[in-house]
Amino acid sequence: MTSDARYAVELKGVSFKRGERFIFKDVDIVIPRGKVTGIMGPSGCGKTTLLRLIGAQLRAEKGEIWVAGSNVPALSRSDLFDLRKRMGVLFQSGALFTDLSVFENVAFPLRVHTALPDDMIRDIVLMKLQAVGLRGAIDLMPDELSGGMKRRVALARAIALDPEILLYDEPFVGQDPIAMGVLVRLIRKLNDALGITSVVVSHDLAETASIADYIYVVGDSQVLGHGTPESLMESDNPRIRQFMKGDPDGPVPFHFPAAKLADDLLGGGHA
Amino acid sequence: MRNKSMLDRLALLGRSGIAVVEALGRSVVFLLMALGGRASFGNRFELLMKQLYAVGVLSLAIIVVSGLFIGMVLALQGYNILSDYGSEQAVGQMVALTLLRELGPVVTALLFAGRAGSALTAEIGNMKSTEQLSSLEMIGVDPLKYVIAPRLWAGFISMPLLACIFSVVGIWGGSMVAVDWLGVFEGSYWSNMQNSVDFFDDVLNGTIKSVVFAIVVTWIAVFQGYDCEPTSEGISRATTRTVVHASLAVLGLDFILTALMFGDY
Amino acid sequence: MKTRTLEISVGLFLLAGLLALLLLALRVSGLTVASTQDTYRVYAYFDNISGLSVRAKVTMAGVTIGKVVGIDLDRDSYMGRVAMDIRGDVNNLPTDSTASILTAGLLGEKYIGISVGGDEELLAEGDTIRDTQSALVLEELIGKFLLNSVNKDE
Repeated sequence: MTSDARYAVELKGVSFKRGERFIFKDVDIVIPRGKVTGIMGPSGCGKTTLLRLIGAQLRAEKGEIWVAGSNVPALSRSDLFDLRKRMGVLFQSGALFTDLSVFENVAFPLRVHTALPDDMIRDIVLMKLQAVGLRGAIDLMPDELSGGMKRRVALARAIALDPEILLYDEPFVGQDPIAMGVLVRLIRKLNDALGITSVVVSHDLAETASIADYIYVVGDSQVLGHGTPESLMESDNPRIRQFMKGDPDGPVPFHFPAAKLADDLLGGGHA
Repeated sequence: MRNKSMLDRLALLGRSGIAVVEALGRSVVFLLMALGGRASFGNRFELLMKQLYAVGVLSLAIIVVSGLFIGMVLALQGYNILSDYGSEQAVGQMVALTLLRELGPVVTALLFAGRAGSALTAEIGNMKSTEQLSSLEMIGVDPLKYVIAPRLWAGFISMPLLACIFSVVGIWGGSMVAVDWLGVFEGSYWSNMQNSVDFFDDVLNGTIKSVVFAIVVTWIAVFQGYDCEPTSEGISRATTRTVVHASLAVLGLDFILTALMFGDY
Repeated sequence: MKTRTLEISVGLFLLAGLLALLLLALRVSGLTVASTQDTYRVYAYFDNISGLSVRAKVTMAGVTIGKVVGIDLDRDSYMGRVAMDIRGDVNNLPTDSTASILTAGLLGEKYIGISVGGDEELLAEGDTIRDTQSALVLEELIGKFLLNSVNKDE
């Protein structure tokens, strides 16, 4: 009933339903402390849902979710908000506060959770922005930044309180190759330098495989397989192989389930 | 076949009924959660300031201009009708009573729903769709307290003040038309008004009306934004809903309040 | 600097709103501080109060000195009893003053006019004005006038 100290996040027998459909059914996932763990799977399989379960923005139907030593579904609202101070999340769109400048965005978590004097906050913000290479953009507003820069500022904001766990939601979507390369390097560097546990949810195979120490492949509301990137490449599970190699047809069919083409064309069904 | 479609329609009615009750319940919980309890951050005053600016100051122009024109039109129409009975001195009293009891609170609420309400819905919906609300939650700040509560309070405070400004400007506009243009004697314009307007019955009741409208309109606007589907279509639908629901709620409530306040029973 | 202009404009807005409320109170509804001063209550019985309503003015020599606060029917005498609050500083009304129900203009609202009497005793809290003159009822007047003219013709 308790958690293992080697793991930063543990999901035990977690089920989650949306309407009548199971997004997850009895899923077990452990995320080792201090490592970069990738969670991969085809679009729409509930990867983002998984992150929201860890951050307790969604409530699991059943199961235990241990994060940094506490069972999230059992926490009170105020304990939950305390726990969240120890987590950082990089959202898909960056989610910068549009009415605040870059500086104020990064300073925001410090201002609401600490009583630090202004000049100290300024120093911390400058250091965090330096870490993501955007110290020069300190006075810009979010809408003056490119997509990649937004994500880097959001990353600086996510690490402002020196979290133990960093969750990345699809960090590589819609980035040009240069921005992608920068982000890949940053995630790895931050993980190693700050000793953070990183969880990267993504379907970008090459990038995730290049930084992750360990990968879970999810789909069909369960964990299809897990292992190091190399071992997954060699997996004999056809579904994992299809995903890792990117084959258009296989266990995940090219065609959406439908009646036979001939039947439809000959006018059986809808007329 | 016909039977089945009747049953289907009945089921549809039932389903939408349940959805409406559910949304009402959600919105009540939402309001209580936003306004109840204490917030943990220190800059609440600053947040309220910002919203008072966005909601109140930015609505001022439309309120003043509309108030002026409505007051002028009231004086013009009132003069034409009253002069048939030779009592055009009563035009001041008519303009003031109409504005204070009805048009001030109601038109302000309608304009507010269109100007500030739709902006609130769109802004909050946008924050939701760009994950800013989620992001606040994950930083450990309750968005209900940080984003929603200051907007609610700003609406509650602004609208009654806007309604007062509307009435004052309207009465002044009425006096311009009646006194300066149509030649009603200035003394009788004001004294007739003062004789017939009662502070408690008219001014205070009108203000109470606009406080009720403020709560309802701001609540609807903010809830629609918070509850919307986080896509651009979802936001635009929610914005439309805000204006439609808020306007209907204001007009319906106005009838009930008028019956309670000015009905003689 | 930006927040400062924002704060100033919000301050101006709040001030304008409160000022508007104040204007409505003082200039439009004619609410005066004096209206809260003490009053004393006197009663008057009328045969017919015809259209007089609560909150109607009580005047003397055209000056408002109080208002009607209650109207009911006296069960014993079948007369209308009107309660009025008279301003405390007008405390020199003789007991034989006359109260009459008057009409402002031909169709205007009804109010009570008090004309001063000659007695040395003064009205005080709870006293009753004996000498009253009921409202002129237009229909009755017209009726009398018609009757008179018919009688003359004969």
